Amino acid sequence: MPSLTETNPTTLKVLERWNRKLHFYSGLFLLFFMWLFAFSGLLLNHPDWKFTEFWTNRREKTDERPITIPGPEFQGDLAQARALMAQLKIDGEIMWTTTRADTNIFEFQVRRPGHFFFLKADFARKIMTVRYAQVNQWGILKALHVFTGAAMDDPRNNRRDWSLTTLWAYSMDAVALGLIFMVFSSIYMWWELPQKRVPGAVALLLGCIICGLFCFGLRWIY
Amino acid sequence: MNLLRGRFYRITRDLHLYLGLFSSPFVLVFSVTVFFIVHAWLPKSAADAPKTRVVTGFILPENIETLSGRPLVDALRIALANANVPGEVGFVQHNATERTFVIPVTVPGRETVATVKVATSEATIVTREPGLAAAMLTLHKSPGQHGSNIRMNWFYMRAWRWLADATVYLILFISVSGIYLWYILRAERRVGIWLLVAGGVTFFGMVYALAH
Repeated sequence: MPSLTETNPTTLKVLERWNRKLHFYSGLFLLFFMWLFAFSGLLLNHPDWKFTEFWTNRREKTDERPITIPGPEFQGDLAQARALMAQLKIDGEIMWTTTRADTNIFEFQVRRPGHFFFLKADFARKIMTVRYAQVNQWGILKALHVFTGAAMDDPRNNRRDWSLTTLWAYSMDAVALGLIFMVFSSIYMWWELPQKRVPGAVALLLGCIICGLFCFGLRWIY
Repeated sequence: MNLLRGRFYRITRDLHLYLGLFSSPFVLVFSVTVFFIVHAWLPKSAADAPKTRVVTGFILPENIETLSGRPLVDALRIALANANVPGEVGFVQHNATERTFVIPVTVPGRETVATVKVATSEATIVTREPGLAAAMLTLHKSPGQHGSNIRMNWFYMRAWRWLADATVYLILFISVSGIYLWYILRAERRVGIWLLVAGGVTFFGMVYALAH
């Protein structure tokens, strides 16, 4: 049986090889996701870029559709909204429901990337007024970046009404996890190159100092 | 020709390495905060208890109640600086009937709300320090897509926007140079192409399902 000192160099070689392989394998698999989030992040950083305007260029239509009033088994606004969406075959995330002044009127919004539904149910007339807006590719790009189906300040604590939102949210997690792995695998690969350690350390340290200034430093200085 | 290609390869490899190392803390900030945003959860800081102080003589310009948008923010910034409240001013609420302003001010990791009574020139300043996770979250969301006319009113947040943009450009460069460096490795081409195709099919399939 080989001793620990004999196996270590082999283990290290295997680790190095697989670290390198997994670094670019994960990069290649996540490439389109990374480009999407990077590019859409840039667009969100620059709302003043006129060519990315989507709301003013939307296509809109309004129609009325008959509905059945949700039964007593649908307790609360969210349950009623889901029941009405199922009747009208509308998919997406329920954004919010408005406070009801008139119990016969129920308004809520549903969104999915590129599509906005402004829904107003009139229980007295058994009619749903559906105002639908479709936006361009810039609107879809921006929506994909922020489409999580969960908000920190949501008092209803609503969590993802649509299965595809859940899938998209978990792919955001996967992309983030992949990026974290790529960062640490690159640090490991750099450390294995003795001739690159000093310039690499300067680059890494510079990044850490600047980023640290914003994460920790500013609230100490000011 | 081979010499040129070898030189191009070495320069690309070095830039990929050094720019990747430089940008790695920024990439970590954006990646780690994804979990907070996606799951609407933020680790609580132990020192998050709000601190309140009252400032008298919070002098505002005479025309303050006629201002709005960026001129209002700029006018308030001077008064806030005098009361030792630095940071990025957010959406200001003006209650014309009660003659009050509610001014949120953010430094990454610190949230301050100054409630100013114009009639008495008195400000109640409440400060919370929700910690590192909240600081990173603020940075991830800054400057954001809303209120572009008032945003970036503090030098450091303007600088952060440049850095966030730079991170995007660096990620684009690193990914393109990474593709080149992978493609040079003949032994890895087949697996790499399969992964690229699998990633592309997954990505476009999901985007189509979400947005069609």
